[in-house]
Amino acid sequence: MSPKTILYVEDNEYNRKIVRQLLSKTAYRLREAIDGENGIQTALADPPDLILMDIQLPKMSGLEATRKLRADSRTAAVPIIVITSFALGGDDQKAKDAGATAYLAKPYSPRDLLAKIREILPEG
Amino acid sequence: MRLDTADPLAAFLLRSPLGAIVRWVAGVRASVHRKLLVAFLLVTLLVLVMGAVSVQTIRSMRQQSDLLDRAHQRVEWSQQIQHSLAMQMHFTAMALLVRDEATIASILRENNRFNDTLARVEEVAEDAERQTIQKIRSAQEEAMSVVADIANLVRDGKLGAATDLQITREDPLYRSIDALVYALVQKQNERMVALRESVDAANRRSITVLGAIALMSVLLALGSGFVISCVFIFPVYAAQDFLSELASGKFGGTVSVPNRDEFGELAARLSETSRELARLDAEQRRAADAVSSVNAKLEQASKAKSEFLANMSHELRTPLNAILGFTEMLRDELYGEVPPEFKEPLADIQTNGKHLLHLINEVLDLSKIEAGHMELMLEEYSAPGIVDAVRASLRSLAAEKGLEFSAEVEPGLPMMYGDAKRLTQCLLNLAGNALKFTRQGRVAINAARDGEFVRYSVSDTGIGIPEEQIGTVFAEFRQVDATITREFGGTGLGLTITKKFVEMHGGRIWAESRLGKGSTFHFVIPLRVAGAPAA
Repeated sequence: MSPKTILYVEDNEYNRKIVRQLLSKTAYRLREAIDGENGIQTALADPPDLILMDIQLPKMSGLEATRKLRADSRTAAVPIIVITSFALGGDDQKAKDAGATAYLAKPYSPRDLLAKIREILPEG
Repeated sequence: MRLDTADPLAAFLLRSPLGAIVRWVAGVRASVHRKLLVAFLLVTLLVLVMGAVSVQTIRSMRQQSDLLDRAHQRVEWSQQIQHSLAMQMHFTAMALLVRDEATIASILRENNRFNDTLARVEEVAEDAERQTIQKIRSAQEEAMSVVADIANLVRDGKLGAATDLQITREDPLYRSIDALVYALVQKQNERMVALRESVDAANRRSITVLGAIALMSVLLALGSGFVISCVFIFPVYAAQDFLSELASGKFGGTVSVPNRDEFGELAARLSETSRELARLDAEQRRAADAVSSVNAKLEQASKAKSEFLANMSHELRTPLNAILGFTEMLRDELYGEVPPEFKEPLADIQTNGKHLLHLINEVLDLSKIEAGHMELMLEEYSAPGIVDAVRASLRSLAAEKGLEFSAEVEPGLPMMYGDAKRLTQCLLNLAGNALKFTRQGRVAINAARDGEFVRYSVSDTGIGIPEEQIGTVFAEFRQVDATITREFGGTGLGLTITKKFVEMHGGRIWAESRLGKGSTFHFVIPLRVAGAPAA
């Protein structure tokens, strides 16, 4: 059985590095995208098993990208965890409305993130 | 002018020359007092004229009546003369029969009476009558001389001669006198009738004049009353209309009245007031415009500020996410075993990173609350759930400090409606503070029903708050003093945020404390916040 792929859409290099290193010790395979548009292209070209979507991204916001992915048949069923920003009131609700499977407030604990990923997408 | 529409009679009168008089009187430069006085004087003069005319009429009627009386008198006298003549004739005839001196004396007596009365009539007679009277007198004198002859003949016993004389001379004389007297009486009667007619006419004239003057007086008095009342009522109506215009917010108009008296002054003052009101109104509008443009700018600035804060929050969190993430992974030995001497510094990095996150969150929360952007996420929740969450997250801290830590909830509390996350934050703030400021002893959380509210209390045996500062503990950045900040840490924003959240729920927060003995903080939250669906 091939390893499960996770797409992480995030513009900050260090945050991508955290997830990269966090998942390096697991059986998941990570792919990365650096903005909303890039995230959609990557996801549609080869739909991953799970998407981690930051809420604030260049070119297209994470919420907008989530809505677009939900609207496309290729990615409509892919679980999406939206990384929200606590400061923006009602982000949780907005993420749910956009079609997020789950959400996690930033700054997140890598331990909690991994637990959430495993909960939604068992390592296999 | 409302009088025109309110009273058709007044409207009609105002179109007559009376209207011109009203405007003229209004325009007279004199005080209201004088105008009233003149109007009353006019009416008083009319009464006086009426009185004088009445007196004059009465006097003239009495004069006429005197004239009539005198005419009556003359008629009477004339009749007296007629009577005396008849008596003379009677006594002369009798003298022939009885032949005594007494009868002759009676003739003389009647003759005297005849002459006296004739003299009286003559006194008041007209020229035409005087001639008749002269004729009567001369005929009478002749008759008297004949009577004297007859008397002498009678005395001498010559009755036949006396009778002859009486028949041939005296009788025709008397007849002619009688005719003359009759004419006189007729004349007097005619005069009396003529006089009576003229007296009646004069009386009728007097009464007509008197009536006309009375009617004129009444009309003049009514007219002057109408004029004077209109002169005073118009400006009052004009002022009323003007004031209702003012009351409806139309400023700046003028009230114009023809009056040049106190009412004119009043109208001028009203116009002045209206101009002043218009000026103030314009000023106020300008000020309001200025305020609203400032408000718009402020709103823009506030929006810019909250956008800035939202961006800043994200910008601050992104590196903080990396710091806390790498630290946690290091401590979780994701990169391999951590040398023992690195363990404490790594824990310090994590503690301070979390503290920085907490500070950022509190500052952002308060900014949002003050900008009015904080909204409660209302849902059904249970009070025990909140208390349990707080106990769970603080239990280890209490244990570390060696403090007794208890939480009690009254059994049977109903489900509540509000923002559970924010209420948890409130109770966590209070309990966290209590643990922070207590070196030894205990911290107790209690939740119990209080009417339509639930009251949460947190009591401790900590350092307490000085009495004079207990009122300001909920103000921003307030801690009892700077040394406390150094020893216990904290932003001083927790209580302020807690108070705001409690008040957003329609609740109330307060504190009781004794310095050195401990503090108790209470807050009450309605079972269901306003606008909640029915339980």
